[in-house]
Amino acid sequence: MTEPLIRTQDLRRTYQMGSTTVSALDGVSLTIDRGSFVALVGPSGSGKSTLLNMLGGLDRPNSGEIWVGAKDIARATDRQLVEFRRDQVGFIFQSFNLLPTNRAWENVALPLMLAGVGRAERRKRAELLLGQVGLAGRTEHRPSELSGGEQQRVAVARALANHPVLILADEPTGNLDSRTGREVLTLLQNLVRTQDVTLLMVTHDLNAAKFADRILHMRDGQLERDETVDQAEVAAV
Amino acid sequence: MRIRDIFSTAFTNLTRRKVRTSLTALGVTVGIFTIVVMVSLGIGVQTEINKQFEAIGLENIFVQPRSSNQDEFTRYLRPQRETPITAARIAEWRKLPNVVSVNAVVDVNAAINKRLRIAGDDTRTTGFQVDPGVGIDEPFQTPPTALAGKLRPETNGSIVLSQSTAQALDLSGDAQSWLGQPVQIILESPRGETQTFDYTIVGITSVTEERQVALTPEDSLGLKAWWFNDPALLETEGYDFAVVRASDINAARLLVPQLRDEGFRVQSLETVLDLASRVFLVINIMLGSVGGLALFVASIGITNTMVMAIYERTREIGTLKALGASRANIRLLFMAEAGMIGLLGGMIGLFLGWLAGLGLNEVAVAYLKREQVPLEGPFFLITPNLILLALGFALLVGMLAGLYPAMRASRLDPIKALRHE
Repeated sequence: MTEPLIRTQDLRRTYQMGSTTVSALDGVSLTIDRGSFVALVGPSGSGKSTLLNMLGGLDRPNSGEIWVGAKDIARATDRQLVEFRRDQVGFIFQSFNLLPTNRAWENVALPLMLAGVGRAERRKRAELLLGQVGLAGRTEHRPSELSGGEQQRVAVARALANHPVLILADEPTGNLDSRTGREVLTLLQNLVRTQDVTLLMVTHDLNAAKFADRILHMRDGQLERDETVDQAEVAAV
Repeated sequence: MRIRDIFSTAFTNLTRRKVRTSLTALGVTVGIFTIVVMVSLGIGVQTEINKQFEAIGLENIFVQPRSSNQDEFTRYLRPQRETPITAARIAEWRKLPNVVSVNAVVDVNAAINKRLRIAGDDTRTTGFQVDPGVGIDEPFQTPPTALAGKLRPETNGSIVLSQSTAQALDLSGDAQSWLGQPVQIILESPRGETQTFDYTIVGITSVTEERQVALTPEDSLGLKAWWFNDPALLETEGYDFAVVRASDINAARLLVPQLRDEGFRVQSLETVLDLASRVFLVINIMLGSVGGLALFVASIGITNTMVMAIYERTREIGTLKALGASRANIRLLFMAEAGMIGLLGGMIGLFLGWLAGLGLNEVAVAYLKREQVPLEGPFFLITPNLILLALGFALLVGMLAGLYPAMRASRLDPIKALRHE
């Protein structure tokens, strides 16, 4: 259970903002266990989104190492990063980012389409996943015909489509009301418990962060505090 | 990503903004329509002209002796010829490589006083022309056919009559029954001398417009020799012209300058056709360029539409990239989309061009019929090559127009794209 999935070593990333250089990550070293639910909290500009993008292979550090499994993705080629994102990672976004012209099942099947899976097989997998997130009757709906909570559930199903080892969620409840947000968080929590997947969630909402097993607090590009949450205790309160 | 999925995704994206897609494709439609109408007209007319020329024979070269002075060819005086086409010369040409046959032709002048009659029957007589048989005929005339027997006499002493001549001689019944009938040509000189020449009918032609007969060159020469009182006519004056038939058009093209160098006037239909096709090539290029210009404008429209599509879909492109779409996937998606706009416009343009061609062809044929020109067309000819060319060009224009937007979309930074409002 305590086998590490992600290990970063002294990650540094700076951005050029006009004439000034902004340090988004300033020496981040962390380890995340396989099968854990980790929340990344901190004020805006603390570097949590940068860290998330980097773990997802969307951005590269100026220095440092990022090991996901046995792969150092800080040194991967562009092509390897594309394959890494496609085959190992699932993304969940704040504003869902579903394709408006696609039906629910087609949105869920999008990563499979990119991976070159045939249509019949894609559909089968998408329908299974939509059932798991409680949208069995909504496979033919387009995003505009779904509520915000339903859209985010479709996005969660999409993140699971390619059997990823890692799911990265960037403010997944940011565009939802608190009740719907809790439902989505419970869904994510259940996913981590029932499926062999590791979840890293960026949020600025401490209530949302409490759904995780572990909370990493970030400030000014550095890890400030590493807090373990006992879910039994949270449930009792 | 599978090619099929690229196409179906690109197609779905096209249907999002139907009006914009249609308007963008309309530009291509105009361009392809123009090209199809113009080029099909060019091909149609050229084919029609080729057909007319082919009936005459493109591999034939017409050789005439040059006159040494400008004297009119009068009834009694003939122009001096620089180099006569003698029997020896004909034999020489027959030995040339690539020459299939050489026909010596004698032109019996229309001014010679002559008439034709049923042998011994002076009540059944008529005037006539001697048809040399070969020459640059009316190109729009359908060539005559043999109603009975032969089209041209092959042995001396035989004669072929046109239908109209036979009727003038009061020959009745079936054309077949006229064969073997002896006839006579009677020449009357201004001095009052007459001479009778005997022939046997061996063929009837379909010609009805003129009273014609056809004779062998030797028999024709015989008529002229008596008329001009010059038994050595062939040596002094030679044949009036010769038709040299080459093995093919290329051989004909090579023979023309050679015969010209020997001191003859040479005409080849191939040279005329050569000029005609060059003129048509220029016309085709010019007309095609008009369509090309329209297509160029259309391609700018496609580029514009695709750049706008990128702005609208920046977040989607970011999402696709985050989910594992490669640069090549994104590039192909946009290229396919632009190519489809081009192809869609091209197909409509081709269809409309075909319709317009059909309509204009009806008009042209009706006009020519009223003017009694025996041309049937079609004057707008859409060949399989033209279809391929039109659609291929439309697709190419679309894809070229999509190249820049596609490159731009594929190079978007996914993080920035995802943040795009």
